[in-house]
Amino acid sequence: MSKRFQILLTAASAALLSTQAFAQDLFIQDATVVTAVGQQADTDIVIRGGQIAQIGSDLAAPEGMDVLDGAGQWVTPGLFSSFSTLGLVDVAAESSTNDMSASEADTSVSERAVDSFNPRTAHIANTRRRGVTHAVVSPSPSGDSIFAGIGLITTTTGNFESVVNDSAFVHVALGETGSSRAGGSRSAALAQLRAAFDDAQGYPSRYRSPTDGDALSRQDAAALAPAVRGEVPMIIAASRASDLLGIIRLKEEYPALDIIVLGATEGWQVADELAAANIKVILDPVQDLPSKFEDLGARYENVLLLDEAGVDYAISNLTSFRVTKPTALGQHAGNAVGNGLSWDKAFTAITSTPAGWFDLPISDVATGPITNLVVWDGDPLEATSAPLKVWIDGKEQSLESRQSLLRDRYNPLNESDMPHKYR
Amino acid sequence: MKKRLLLLSAAALLMACEPAGSDKTEAKPDKDAAVENAFPSTYAPLASEPTVITNAQLIDGTGNEITTGSLYIQDGRIVAVGAGEAPEGFPSEAETIDAQGRFVTPGIIDIHSHLGNYASPGVNAHSDGNEVTSPITSEVDAEHGVWPQDPGFDEALQGGITTLHILPGSANLFGGKGVTLRNIASRTVQGMKFPDAPETLKMACGENPKRVYGDKGGPGSRMGNVAGYRKNWIRAAEYRDKRNEAAEKGGDKEKDFTRDLQLETLADVLDGEILVQMHCYRADEMVQILDIAKEFDYKVTTFHHAVEAYKIGDILAENGTCAAMWADWYAFKMESYDGIRENVPFVHAAGACAMIHSDDDNNIQRLNQEVAKTWADGNRAGLNIPKAEAWKWLSTNPAKALGILDETGTLEVGKRADVVLWSADPFSTYARPETVMIDGATVFDRASGLKPKSDFRLGQGEAPASMTQETSNAGDEL
Repeated sequence: MSKRFQILLTAASAALLSTQAFAQDLFIQDATVVTAVGQQADTDIVIRGGQIAQIGSDLAAPEGMDVLDGAGQWVTPGLFSSFSTLGLVDVAAESSTNDMSASEADTSVSERAVDSFNPRTAHIANTRRRGVTHAVVSPSPSGDSIFAGIGLITTTTGNFESVVNDSAFVHVALGETGSSRAGGSRSAALAQLRAAFDDAQGYPSRYRSPTDGDALSRQDAAALAPAVRGEVPMIIAASRASDLLGIIRLKEEYPALDIIVLGATEGWQVADELAAANIKVILDPVQDLPSKFEDLGARYENVLLLDEAGVDYAISNLTSFRVTKPTALGQHAGNAVGNGLSWDKAFTAITSTPAGWFDLPISDVATGPITNLVVWDGDPLEATSAPLKVWIDGKEQSLESRQSLLRDRYNPLNESDMPHKYR
Repeated sequence: MKKRLLLLSAAALLMACEPAGSDKTEAKPDKDAAVENAFPSTYAPLASEPTVITNAQLIDGTGNEITTGSLYIQDGRIVAVGAGEAPEGFPSEAETIDAQGRFVTPGIIDIHSHLGNYASPGVNAHSDGNEVTSPITSEVDAEHGVWPQDPGFDEALQGGITTLHILPGSANLFGGKGVTLRNIASRTVQGMKFPDAPETLKMACGENPKRVYGDKGGPGSRMGNVAGYRKNWIRAAEYRDKRNEAAEKGGDKEKDFTRDLQLETLADVLDGEILVQMHCYRADEMVQILDIAKEFDYKVTTFHHAVEAYKIGDILAENGTCAAMWADWYAFKMESYDGIRENVPFVHAAGACAMIHSDDDNNIQRLNQEVAKTWADGNRAGLNIPKAEAWKWLSTNPAKALGILDETGTLEVGKRADVVLWSADPFSTYARPETVMIDGATVFDRASGLKPKSDFRLGQGEAPASMTQETSNAGDEL
């Protein structure tokens, strides 16, 4: 046997299972299973023909079925990344590979992420093998518009049919980013936003020519209209408490808006008001620095205080280099737990809560057809854990990616004496 | 008075514990004291009481894990460690901390930070890390761009960081000198400077210099980068020879020889007095740099970022060059596109000196988790690295690469008592530093709320104190 294929792997079970021809039938023994009622320890699961046939304790392994055994495994729904730029960029610093924004374009709201989205980017497979099965994909604001465009929701199968909603939300920036986009002040940003709302509400009647709007061209007003009618959510980036109150006032003026605030580092200062106005929040529990003046009140207790006030929140990773960081979703949620949030709440904030906002139910682990399922080698909120198996839409997924191939080629245990390009 | 006595005894202990053959005991070349210490460290350890931490799960940084151990601290130094009894002369009335089986580790050392020179908030005025006026700025010092009131220092301390190395940015081929700091509350940078830590020089490979200077006279390509290093090492060698000649002449040297700050730094590298800390991503490029180091007879101490170090772990090991890496950052620029999650453990397994680094004001707070991640992925790929061995990536190897391993980085007798007491296994996401000690003094304590607070954090970022509430409370008392 050729030496070059003799890669020694003590974690052989993981490698073996991931390279098998996606065997659908499996007996999972003594796992911690996260169901609708929370964590259930020492639980067995029978998976047969793409279905969860049985869940229970002390089940007998069906004759001839592969067994995934060993205490410490967890079975959960797939993770939902509530904010990412997956599929819009390969290498952030290379503009030719980066479709996150278009600073020279005349369009704004009508820029659709789906038209840039590439499910075959290496980052999607790299993200899938970390247990993320779904992702919000958002364009970024640029140029002189506070509007980033229209975002999508995708699974991480990497298939060309992976987009499940190509017009899932409109993304707009207020706060310091919105201020600089709009020309230099928050007042200008809000003026642009209100004018845009009125354009959208007045669409199509106020447009006799394409440029008749106060703030938006005809195509952008048409694109914004569903969000102003509340048919799709509007993700509004803002951090400072006074900016969040401004958003609450906006909601009073335009009651149909379905608002998700992105960031909200000072949300804890207006937590009751956010809860009362039914405004949702995507936050990163590790943001505790006054990174900008709009973040002066950043503190790790933010998520705890928002939770206490009853705000509907999702946890994401919003710190730098987020292109590659949907992979650390569980770790970010785990840090909220480390700071005092309950495990169940933190896990919900990276699965069912944001999925529900976009009408995408991520089902709990239950008997019946498998939708999305991840078998982990440990607690998914521990940075040390990783998936052993992932199912999306009933199909078991490959856990191979560009990163795993580079890993195998350069593994110090790879004893091949051929040059690396042959390994 | 008491504090002064403590300091004196700490100094005595330090001298007693200096290992034979240590660099610091060797006589330095004849150099003006003023030249060497234009901005001398004024760091003084905070006063501390003799303390014993008992019943601790010790990860000592040398590869050992002791399940039930004790750590004896006196005059800011570790005087005994392990399962044994108190050393002779250790006061019986010493303060005792019962760790109750919790983990105790060395303080974490971040070899790559921009706290202070890219301070929070990230306003334009706080951009003091890159002297983007020339690709050769070895005359600048990171310490002159460090703002000690950066709130990031305080949050990093909360994450167990006791020592950190602040570097100039990577725009320039020769970026300037770095500075090694104690993560201690101080009004001045001098008050944070790690006493007697070797000086360092930041250099940079690859995309950044050629991007920044491509339309400003070059370098405009990787070829230009390499030519830029070599041309300046030639200048530096000439300068060093002139300086040596002037020194030999003795009294007349002031007349015959004019100091050039830029070349002085480079000449000191050639003399082996300054450690080269080099930003470099790609494997092929790192190996070219190692050849340049051979050509001019200097040493590259550490490659920073080193996203492709896993491809050349064996070559790094042969050359005795360390690699400081992230756990999972990749693809933000082309030279980082091949990043893998097993970089640190693969470099370690190849026998090279591997370590984690942050380069980030937020991730610096959780370097233990970054190591946990990469350690787990390495073992998943078939390696079998014990936790206590992987801990070296957090404190031991960074201390080695900064030339301060004699002083900190492990829990060994004679070293500074830089210690973290954790709420749980530090490889767990849920673990938090509960107590952090620097030189035996408690500088952070979660339970009591002891934590430094930057001037910048005062009177803002908090809900205003309610006047009416206070008034009514006062009224109740009356």
